[in-house]
Amino acid sequence: MNEKEHIDKLMLELRRGTITIGVLSQLSKPQYGYSLVTLLDEKGVHVEPGTLYPLLRRLEKQGLLDSSWDTNETRPRKYYVLSQTGKNVFDQLCVEWEGIVQSLNGLIKQKGDNGNGND
Amino acid sequence: MGMEMIDRYIYAVMQKLPSSQREDIAVELRGLIEDMLEERSNGEAYTAEAIEEVLKELGSPREMAQKYRGTKRYLISPELFDSYVIVLKIVLISMTLSLIAVFAIESIINPVDILDRFIELIVSLVTATPQAFGWVTLVFALVDYSGGFKTEDLKLDKGWSPSKLQPIPHPKKQIKRSEPIVAIVFYVLLMVLFAFSSNFFGVYRFDDGELIRVVPFLNEVSFPQYLPFVLLLLAIFIVKECLKLISAKWTFKLVAYTAIINLFAMVVVYFMITGQAFWNPNFMEELVQSGIVTSGSEGYNIAAEIWENTTRAIVILLLIGLVWDIVAGLIKARKE
Repeated sequence: MNEKEHIDKLMLELRRGTITIGVLSQLSKPQYGYSLVTLLDEKGVHVEPGTLYPLLRRLEKQGLLDSSWDTNETRPRKYYVLSQTGKNVFDQLCVEWEGIVQSLNGLIKQKGDNGNGND
Repeated sequence: MGMEMIDRYIYAVMQKLPSSQREDIAVELRGLIEDMLEERSNGEAYTAEAIEEVLKELGSPREMAQKYRGTKRYLISPELFDSYVIVLKIVLISMTLSLIAVFAIESIINPVDILDRFIELIVSLVTATPQAFGWVTLVFALVDYSGGFKTEDLKLDKGWSPSKLQPIPHPKKQIKRSEPIVAIVFYVLLMVLFAFSSNFFGVYRFDDGELIRVVPFLNEVSFPQYLPFVLLLLAIFIVKECLKLISAKWTFKLVAYTAIINLFAMVVVYFMITGQAFWNPNFMEELVQSGIVTSGSEGYNIAAEIWENTTRAIVILLLIGLVWDIVAGLIKARKE
């Protein structure tokens, strides 16, 4: 494996872990799958639809999301929105995330002080 | 053509999903594909190229279905895989050795047919190996499918704490995996030989390297009545070895099981072997007929004595062996 492949693999794992928070953050208002892809894309988080759609179903099955079909548009669309559990979980996740960012920043910056940081 | 390709794609994904979710996912997936197309076409009609591009982006139907299913699918899940490999090894080794043993004995009895027998052996191996493989796999797959033995169900790791770690067993207390495996293979081999023909056990009379006749140790007429008991006994012994394999060390519980099984075996062995109809009643006469000994000679007397003593000694040896098995287990289990 070369350097790029290592980075790709690690980034994949990193994204996989953070994508759920990203998705939950955008679902206080109902969204259907593709609108969510566009929404996330606009904010700089690229998610493959092939990943997002199954993820939405899984979160719904776990009870974090509620769903409803809208059949009034040109094509039927399934809208997802945070459930009460989902809201609570998301709030808690945000706190955890802040914690992770802070501690990791601490670690990375410390390393930077030693004189070998890029960016 | 383009629209048909979408139908094909959705159909292919649906084929790999549980039927309960198909309809819902199909509608959703079609919506997604059309949304993606709409964005690309800027209000114009969808071109076949655009459709192909979108479907390519979504990935192969197999990948797509896998993402929807979430979990990877196994025929035999990782929790069961170790046991599966052990059982598979035992079954395949036992089967191969049994077939080879039957071939060897048949070749000794009838060396002229050795080539035919060898071809038979190869054919048997080729046909029986996939069968054995298949049956073991089927049984494990069914166990897995029914979800009987999941680690979480067994609560193996619930409430675990370092203080609950078992002490490393005394080296003499440990049961090496190879011991029960060898024993199981041996018992299976015996089962095959008994089931195939009790005539394998006897005195072989050769003349010019050619087998003339076999004087059987066992009573050929009445042995078939005993056969189910012999097979049952061997099967119980195999169960015993399986318990050893699972336990992996001598414990008092294992000794208790061994004791129960062995005591039962002792009763069966005693009544079976001391019964009149177990040994070949005409052994000495047949020995004479086959020309190995001459009636009334010194050799005859020695052979008769050996025959008498051996048949009696075998009972005693078997009983002692079974008792020793319990005692040895007990001694090993006591080691700290």
